[in-house]
Amino acid sequence: MKTNFDDPRLTAHAVNEPLSAADRAAIEALLAESPEVQMFAEEMRGLGADLRAQYNEERVRQAADGRVPNVIAFVPEPRSKVEPWLKSLARIAAAVIAVCAVFGAGYMGWKATQPAELGDGVVIAMKATMEAPVAFFEEAQDAPLTRATGTGTYTLTQEAAYFSESDAPLGYNAQQSEAYTRLTDNSFLAVAQNPLSTFSADVDTASYANARRFLAAGKLPPKDAVRIEEFVNYFPFRYAPPLPDANTPFAVQLESAAAPWNTAHRLVRVGVKAREIRAELRGASNLVFLIDVSGSMFQENRLPLVKKSLRLLTEQLDARDRVAIVVYAGKAGLVLPPTTGDRKDAILGALDRLEAGGSTNGGDGIKLAYRIATENFINEGINRVILCTDGDFNVGVTSEGELTRLVEEQAKSKVFLSVLGFGMGNYKDTTCQKLADRGNGNSAYIDTLREARKVLVEQMAGTLVTVAKDVKFQVEFNPARVSSYRLIGYEKRLLKKEDFNDDKVDAGEIGAGHTVTALYECVPVGVAEPGTAAVDPLKYQAPAAAPLNSAEMLTVKIRWKAPEGEVSERADFPLADDGRAFSAATPDFKFATAVAAFAMTLRESPERGNATIAAIIEWALEGRGDDPGGYRAEFIELARKAQPLLEARAGKS
Amino acid sequence: MPPEDLTRMTEALAASPANLISMPHWGTDPAVWLRAMLVRYERPLLSFAARIVGDHEAARDIVQDVFVRLDKAGPWQFESADPRKWLFTVCRNRALDRCRREKRLSFVDDETLANQPCAGISPSEAISREEDRGTLLRLVEQLPPRQQELIQLKFQNDLSYREIADITGLSETNVGFLLHTALKFLRERRAAFGR
Repeated sequence: MKTNFDDPRLTAHAVNEPLSAADRAAIEALLAESPEVQMFAEEMRGLGADLRAQYNEERVRQAADGRVPNVIAFVPEPRSKVEPWLKSLARIAAAVIAVCAVFGAGYMGWKATQPAELGDGVVIAMKATMEAPVAFFEEAQDAPLTRATGTGTYTLTQEAAYFSESDAPLGYNAQQSEAYTRLTDNSFLAVAQNPLSTFSADVDTASYANARRFLAAGKLPPKDAVRIEEFVNYFPFRYAPPLPDANTPFAVQLESAAAPWNTAHRLVRVGVKAREIRAELRGASNLVFLIDVSGSMFQENRLPLVKKSLRLLTEQLDARDRVAIVVYAGKAGLVLPPTTGDRKDAILGALDRLEAGGSTNGGDGIKLAYRIATENFINEGINRVILCTDGDFNVGVTSEGELTRLVEEQAKSKVFLSVLGFGMGNYKDTTCQKLADRGNGNSAYIDTLREARKVLVEQMAGTLVTVAKDVKFQVEFNPARVSSYRLIGYEKRLLKKEDFNDDKVDAGEIGAGHTVTALYECVPVGVAEPGTAAVDPLKYQAPAAAPLNSAEMLTVKIRWKAPEGEVSERADFPLADDGRAFSAATPDFKFATAVAAFAMTLRESPERGNATIAAIIEWALEGRGDDPGGYRAEFIELARKAQPLLEARAGKS
Repeated sequence: MPPEDLTRMTEALAASPANLISMPHWGTDPAVWLRAMLVRYERPLLSFAARIVGDHEAARDIVQDVFVRLDKAGPWQFESADPRKWLFTVCRNRALDRCRREKRLSFVDDETLANQPCAGISPSEAISREEDRGTLLRLVEQLPPRQQELIQLKFQNDLSYREIADITGLSETNVGFLLHTALKFLRERRAAFGR
């Protein structure tokens, strides 16, 4: 029997086209009859699959290199009360304008904007010149962030939005979509009832970088997004490092002076400086980049910034080091097996090829990354998973509790975790920080390439090399000198006094060269106390013995574990107050005070005393010093930016 | 709609066009829906239109017009129907209109059209002149224009024979026949190149 390759139904069947029952039966009979026909059908099926795959590849590649531009972004906005007909008219007009502007932009030779650079709420006044529906166009030229154009504002995205990295614009409702846990400021505690103050070391700095982008966009950050200790610890202070033969991995510097917002109170600064490790002396590293490539990472300040940031880190690695890359979206996968740091082309190539798409299953990615890190564990080296995410885990292990438990479980492998938060839309601060806490790690918020350079280049050793883990502070106050005290910030870091000696209780890590700064506001004995929560005298207890008459004001006790140790060590550092005025304090002290006061003011903390933004700027200027890296100058700029906003808010209330 | 829903939706759409149809919440915000449509279909429509009008800039005009019309139509039109068919039908009609206006199109019967060789650099080649274009896609460019169109609708955009028939005005049987012919051609060519 002659085989008939010319039946179009064969092809239809092969490319999964639905056929009528009769047709399908006929084709299946034909296929059953002849192996040649089967082979032919198989080839047709293969062709169809290859065509689909190649078209898809082409689409993805065009999306990636932006050669075929996709330039219109839509920003949703709250529904306005404009008449419906007007809405749709305005909407269409805006669409026409946007599209015209796009083509105008094309003619003017601007580089086509990649879709990856499209951000929600990235809105720029259109500059293209062309003939367009004039009335609407002129109006739209100065279009602010959200125009009353009904249910959607059509906006043009172009590179100008990204010319200034530090001025990343904000989505209109970024604030609503970000999650911050409610925070209440520590209040004054009476020394008689609470002679011990215990907290975990914290060198996370995400809150400052996050607040900075709000201020850069001309908005005050949400109060709960401001963490005082993260503000203060953002800045490197020049505390002396421990001597090379010291038996502690850090040195402690205590200083006291009058609190500038209430000169009757004393301010005590606890400054800790971890041992410095020169880049060339650091151990070999085993790094696993765990990268969120879900669709929410699509925007310019997310995945593309992740790539640039990790590129900076990769450039500092050498043959000692190994890098693997794990990505996760709906599924997790290894895109680069462990590769030595001298093969930069391979690493950078793999980074470049990453694409956003899919939903986020962080759980599987974390498991895979830890597995690879433990399989390649380097004894005495740096073993670290570096998680880059916007914190939006929406598939698989999604509950925050489950995710943190997973990380806690994995952290037993002695692999450390760094969480780098990216993205301004749905950056989930709490998730990132919790993960870092549980995973023996640190977290940083990366909003600009400059911030990436700070975290991954200037402070690379600190980010990668942990010199002490589970670092806990316990301050014992002398009731003969101090009647009450208040820890400024660290609200989320407080520990019970018993936790200090309990090695099972997890606490913060300190990286090489890092500084940790904590401030206490103390009320000296004899000064009228602010309303401390008074407790009635105890009926069955003997009244406390008269306090030891020591000149010491307080003692700072620090506990820590070696990076791979299980048992903690302890060191004590006493302080006697020399009674100096704020004006006589060191620049570092003044600057730290200014930063803390700024954070308190942003939070509208009830404890901020008479600090005003103008005074804060003064203190910061006095404490500026020689400012390597320019971070302090940037702070002063930021405070100036915040000044009118704060004053406007104060005027309103 | 919060931004995360928006990105989630766009990404679901990018993963599979079928997701668009089953997505309930676009009904609540036409702008989000429109954005999702743009992300997914702008490029396929551009190359589809460019192949007909033979000019990249003209294709952009047409696609822009398609999206303005889509916006005007609104998502509610597509509650149950697949918007792809609408998009490609409108796009094709706009493109043909334009050709007619510019008198570039002479009406010929399908027989002639089907056998007419592709002249010069094809528009789709102009769009994606990359060296690394998939080998199969380069072979597609050697097909007669009508067959190229069908291949694109079928394999780039996953439309059914019935939908392609509606878009192009051909009969469903004819679509099946032409695709069969096209695939056979591709199969032979690929074999000749030793893959």
